[in-house]
Amino acid sequence: MATSKIGAKIRANLHLLPTVGPISIWIFLFVFAPVVVIVFISFLATDLSGGILPKFSIENYRFLFFGGSEYARAVLRSILYAFVTNMACLFVGFPMAYWISKYGGRFKALFLFLVIVPSWSCYIVRIYALKQLVGYPGILNDFLLHVGLISSPINILYTPAAVVLGLIYIWLPFMVLPIYASLEGINPALLEASLDLGATPRWQFFTVTLPLTKGGIFGGTILTFIPALGDWLVPLLIGGNRVWMAGNLIEHFLVVRGKIAMASSMAVILTATVVLLIYVFMKLGGEESMERIV
Amino acid sequence: MKVLTARKINTLLTVAGYLFIWGPIVVLGIFSFNASAYGVKWESLTLKWYIDLFHTPAIMKAVTRSLLIASVTTLFATVIGTLAGYGLYKYKFAGRRVLRMSALLPITVPYVIMAGALLVYFTRIVHIPLGYPAIIIAHISFSAPLAVFVTLGRMQRINWSLEEASVDLGANIFTTWRKVTIPLLLPAIFASAVLIFPWSFNDFTVTYFVAGVGTTTLPLYLFSMLEYSLKPVLINAISLIFIIMPILCILIIYFPKGKKKRIT
Repeated sequence: MATSKIGAKIRANLHLLPTVGPISIWIFLFVFAPVVVIVFISFLATDLSGGILPKFSIENYRFLFFGGSEYARAVLRSILYAFVTNMACLFVGFPMAYWISKYGGRFKALFLFLVIVPSWSCYIVRIYALKQLVGYPGILNDFLLHVGLISSPINILYTPAAVVLGLIYIWLPFMVLPIYASLEGINPALLEASLDLGATPRWQFFTVTLPLTKGGIFGGTILTFIPALGDWLVPLLIGGNRVWMAGNLIEHFLVVRGKIAMASSMAVILTATVVLLIYVFMKLGGEESMERIV
Repeated sequence: MKVLTARKINTLLTVAGYLFIWGPIVVLGIFSFNASAYGVKWESLTLKWYIDLFHTPAIMKAVTRSLLIASVTTLFATVIGTLAGYGLYKYKFAGRRVLRMSALLPITVPYVIMAGALLVYFTRIVHIPLGYPAIIIAHISFSAPLAVFVTLGRMQRINWSLEEASVDLGANIFTTWRKVTIPLLLPAIFASAVLIFPWSFNDFTVTYFVAGVGTTTLPLYLFSMLEYSLKPVLINAISLIFIIMPILCILIIYFPKGKKKRIT
């Protein structure tokens, strides 16, 4: 007995290096180090051409917050859009998950499959598909004009509403899956018990089902709110570069203008917001919300 | 009566949700068979755009690049991720929780931030050339965590006493790994690979930042076509490939066993 215990211990230690070793090194080199670097660079001074100087400065942050309202506004806009997206995804995603779980029957797997497929297909393709359908020139406009429902084409592209619609379209599947998983995890005995104790179906839903899916709801929130917050392709392709979000600023400063320090400070602000949000969502949703997103 | 109305609203929202998710994709698919080059008016049925794809060298090159990147990424990310998932599940060690949280970081923080950080890191600090090396390293960072969590999810359903039995019966560590552990982990390895491959193949944001000049993958090519509004119908035809890919991949892991499985 004792020898097998010691053996197990040696085995465990031997296995630690080849098992979690590579990913630890990888995460350290290619996740932590880049983050540390941009935090460092964000506090460096910039010369006129956008190059970085080895001198401490909080100028980048000052500029983002106070130098032209456009930048601070883009961050606030991102938070607002992400919030609206999240609420809309919850409003449609919860009923979808509930319906699949309750009425899906033997086709549950198929219904779930139909949610998963778009979430795994190419992001650009999905934005393009939406744009082509609702934009102008677009198929929906053509059709409505043809049947005479509208007399002149409606162009919703390049408006904030279109950007939010695009965000909902992209991120909706990611809300359904965690909620579904959480609904499936509910012990049916609890539901029966609530009915036996005299709850009406509506009462049962609000006092038993909903609280038990809290983890799924917050898991789904992490998966929709946060990517929507950092989204830059939807505003670029559907907003036509007229409605900027925080992600667009990072891309613009980094790729278009080569102002690394500025882009870094923007990224740091956004990362800080995200980390704070994840922390809050996890506190509210419990450990389960983290399990639900993986 | 009340239940019935609640149920009706529920069904209505569900149908609306599915229509919303699938409507644009289905229309896109249908219009990829449209003879009209402008794509918004239906003319007649044609396969010409699909044939065109094979006769456009730039597209074929982009497909080859994407396949190469996705294959290499899948190979490395699956191995690293599965090993880590195994280690995280089996062993208690200091920093286990930290590692778990860290692995979550690349998948939860918006891609634009991490990809931007990697671009700065590659060009200013470690001097990894943009293009294949940078793309593959970046893809592994983002997709290895997927394998970690797929593996962690599957580990719970595995009967680990088999491994102990193997050791008790005198097999050494390597034999145990080869004969017992790896076969037990095979479904997890397979599921990870089938998730990582389409992730890497479809990824745009991360690739866009670290690709540099010349390494145009299929999503990057699609993006440039969209920006300059070239041949919309040809784009439709490419797009359908991106939709069919994950369908095939998910079908592979999803249906043979005939039971539901949580992905993501």
